[in-house]
Amino acid sequence: MTHHPLRKLQALSALSSAVWGLCAASLLIPLSGFAQDSAVDQDDSITVAVRRLTESQYKNTIRDLFGDGIEINARFEPEQRENGLLAIGSATLSLTSSGFEQYFVLASSISDQVLGEERRASIMPCEPRSNVSDSACATEFISHIGSQLFRRPLSDAEIAARVQTAELGASQAEDFYAGLKLALTSLLVAPEFLFRIEQAEPDPEVAGRYRLDAYSKASRLSFMFWDTTPDAELLAAAGDGSLHGNAGLSAQLERLSRSPRMEAGARAFFEDMMQLDGFGNMVKDPAIYPKFNQLVADSAKEQMLKTVIDQLIVDQGDYRDLFTSNETFINRPLASVYQVPYISGEEWAEYEFPEDSDRAGILTQVGFLSLWAHPGTSSPTRRGIKIHEIFMCEPTPDPPADVDFSQVTDSEAGTVRGRLLDHMENTGCTVCHQRSDPPGLALEHFDGLGQLRKMENGQLIDVSADLFGKTFVGAKGLAEYLHDDPRAPSCLVRNVYAYGVAKAPGYQEREYLQQQAQVFADTGYRFASLFKQIAMTPEFFAVQLPEGLESAVASSDSAAQQD
Amino acid sequence: MSSRFNRRSLLRGMIGGATVSMGIPLLDLFLNENGTAFADGAPIPTRFGTYFWGLGLTDTPTGGTRWVPETVGPGYEITPELQALAAVKDKVSVFSGFRAIPDGRPNLVHWSGHASILSGVAPSSTGRFEGASFDTRVADALGGTTRFKVLDIDASVSRRPISYSTRSGSTFASPDVTPLDLYQRLFGEGFQDPNSDDWQPNPDIMLRQSVLSAVTDQRKALMDSVGHEDQIKLEQYFTSVRDMENQLAIQLQKPEPREACVIPTPPNEIERAASVDVVNANTKVMARLLAMGLACNQTRVFNFVHTGGTSETYIAGNSKIYHQITHDEPTDAQLGFQPETSKLAGLVMEGLGAFLNEIDGVKEGDGTLLDNCLICAFSDTGYAKIHSIENIPMFLAGGAGGRHKAGQHIHAPGESVTRVSLTAMQLAGAPVGEFGDGSMRTSRPVSEVMA
Repeated sequence: MTHHPLRKLQALSALSSAVWGLCAASLLIPLSGFAQDSAVDQDDSITVAVRRLTESQYKNTIRDLFGDGIEINARFEPEQRENGLLAIGSATLSLTSSGFEQYFVLASSISDQVLGEERRASIMPCEPRSNVSDSACATEFISHIGSQLFRRPLSDAEIAARVQTAELGASQAEDFYAGLKLALTSLLVAPEFLFRIEQAEPDPEVAGRYRLDAYSKASRLSFMFWDTTPDAELLAAAGDGSLHGNAGLSAQLERLSRSPRMEAGARAFFEDMMQLDGFGNMVKDPAIYPKFNQLVADSAKEQMLKTVIDQLIVDQGDYRDLFTSNETFINRPLASVYQVPYISGEEWAEYEFPEDSDRAGILTQVGFLSLWAHPGTSSPTRRGIKIHEIFMCEPTPDPPADVDFSQVTDSEAGTVRGRLLDHMENTGCTVCHQRSDPPGLALEHFDGLGQLRKMENGQLIDVSADLFGKTFVGAKGLAEYLHDDPRAPSCLVRNVYAYGVAKAPGYQEREYLQQQAQVFADTGYRFASLFKQIAMTPEFFAVQLPEGLESAVASSDSAAQQD
Repeated sequence: MSSRFNRRSLLRGMIGGATVSMGIPLLDLFLNENGTAFADGAPIPTRFGTYFWGLGLTDTPTGGTRWVPETVGPGYEITPELQALAAVKDKVSVFSGFRAIPDGRPNLVHWSGHASILSGVAPSSTGRFEGASFDTRVADALGGTTRFKVLDIDASVSRRPISYSTRSGSTFASPDVTPLDLYQRLFGEGFQDPNSDDWQPNPDIMLRQSVLSAVTDQRKALMDSVGHEDQIKLEQYFTSVRDMENQLAIQLQKPEPREACVIPTPPNEIERAASVDVVNANTKVMARLLAMGLACNQTRVFNFVHTGGTSETYIAGNSKIYHQITHDEPTDAQLGFQPETSKLAGLVMEGLGAFLNEIDGVKEGDGTLLDNCLICAFSDTGYAKIHSIENIPMFLAGGAGGRHKAGQHIHAPGESVTRVSLTAMQLAGAPVGEFGDGSMRTSRPVSEVMA
């Protein structure tokens, strides 16, 4: 008997319909209905990216629209890092069933709070004329809040669907606000809110080309600069089209970057780039690191962010000094790990490690050192890999599967350097380890929690390193090496661009990024103006047609020509 | 709405299409009458789950092993690393010699093995599968009539939540990671006691349904002019919405009584440490909650992760983690194997033992809950020291309602792991006749274990 794939498909789909039909007549037939809807919209706009809102973007949006007092208590779906950034991963993620369940419960809780008796007066744009039904007021609320949640005006159909939900709920519960809460919940679980759906439209200036539409541009800017939804002024600049012009764009960029909210945007960027999302679940063996607890982990992350913001945003400093400067902030739990006195009465205090300290710059903070270590030991390899990946944009490939570990002997005694030297003698390993290990070995005076030490298993630790002929010693040597390496600022430029557009730059963007790195250098490596610099370039809003849409676009073009 | 499948309708569905593609064992499976029943005569449903642990089991450089039994077929002997399964060994089949076949793709360490088992294809990059994991196909077949279509659980206390269940190949399920999370999900708000006498439908649920209909109303407009990748993402989103709609619809029905259902007390917060004793304790507590979730008919499908692929578990106080030890530890010249690695493998298997004992500890019908489950347990590697994707240890546990001829050792060197996956799907009752791609494509389940 033959196995004909098509017939099998028919058999399976017949079966699955039977199952679905049996258990839930009200449910939609799964999947099969979706595939055909690929006709181009009447208004010729196309969807060029679908990016899932991050946890902080979600929270910031809710607080901006409804106030700081709204409690947001839910487990968010895990984010995924791709090509170094969660922002790039956000463009590949969808929502799972358990994730949607969480958002659904959260949305109801937010609606209850927002439209509860205490808050509703400050949120409602109108007063309902009846306790049960006022469709004009419901419509006004839905289109007003909806446009802020969807980051664009709602279509009539989108409004009508929610007004219907509101009326139904209101009449059932005999309470106008009970119905409106359902409508708000429905906006909060909609894909247009949970995902940033970027749309492009035919470019009126270049026939056959697409440009990002103005509302998508506004969102891109707002989430990049402020990590939140566009405010009224930005939406207005999208609505009147001024964001498409250089003057309008420039004015908005100036406003965005001068705002105090730029700090939140920079924090979100560095949290992503420096991969600081790992602190929530960091585990250390308490038998080996008794000083470690979640408070230390949270403080270590906060220290890194405080340092970055203070040096780069407040002081508008040179990005490269992050590697060498010992000016930072500590709190009581960190002071204990650093073994320095804490005399301030405040929660955080400025602190500068003395000149003769072994520490130098951001890489010698407890945060970096503990995050890239094992639960019970340091890890020069992990630290080295992360230095290359995060700060030089040089990822390390996965280790080969067929490594012959038979030569590796037990190294309980002595220092970890010995164990790693074994890798160096193995040709399969050496390609990567000769690059990853030296920077990590230079940091070996810090254990798996980032505490200072000079000895391991009774032997003095050697912190000299040789990276392809460049030799340096210890953390200070490494710091200077990184400070002077042009790959570090270039990597920052690449990351800022990739973070904003949520795409890994390809070969075609190489020249553009080189130019931008040069501008960054010429202006003194000031991070504070880098967002603006990148967002002002036409490349920042360039549209790349997604796979599967080229033909739809081509046919609409030819149809237009025939007209 | 019926909460049970009608076997005749299922068969009609198949015959209406083409029976040719359905293997004989699959037909057998629908026709067999071995299933047990509740006291009132209603058949007890089969439940399905996956159980994953990291770093395989220990082989030796000379071709020996610490886990593969010598006896093939029924009545296999307990080997050193299978000690923890002794109590339930008659309900567990052991599969040895099966391998992942990457067909020219690289062996992505600690990834290609389980990606092959779950998706039937060796992936081209770490972090992604080339397609859906097979548990979702079983969930589609079995999971539609319970409150949760599937439960994802991660007991590993890792840096990031771990799940290998995916519909799109890129977005993985977000698991419950603490016993308290799991408890609240199962028995917190929204739980309806199936044995309660005074059940009333909650009118709020219908209102919540209307919230979702406003969302699905916009589906067509949204799916217009999107690229291929975005379409897959949005489809998954709408599948999730549909699961939620289903959950609400089920909550509007009076639940059928379940005599085995006893609502558990809330668990304590766990210690945040990834040492193997903590992970095993966590596994035991979460297994007990899950068992009650199954017995109380809250779900019929689950995915359980004990430890992740590159397992970071360790023996408390030991500075090296398990993963490091598998690679670094030399083979002991006299013993012929890695003693510390093998010890850790045995400890990690205690997690599986505890898990199965908990499921087996719940009485249901004439037997136990485990008799009505089919649990597919597997790892990412065979011999972890060399990242081998040959001889990946796999187990099928539970009676599958009488369909699984358990307690056997199947030894099939060189055979594709997907044969075990296919067997698991068919034993669980999923209508799947073929699984996998390239050299791992198969329509041959392991018929020896199918009643």
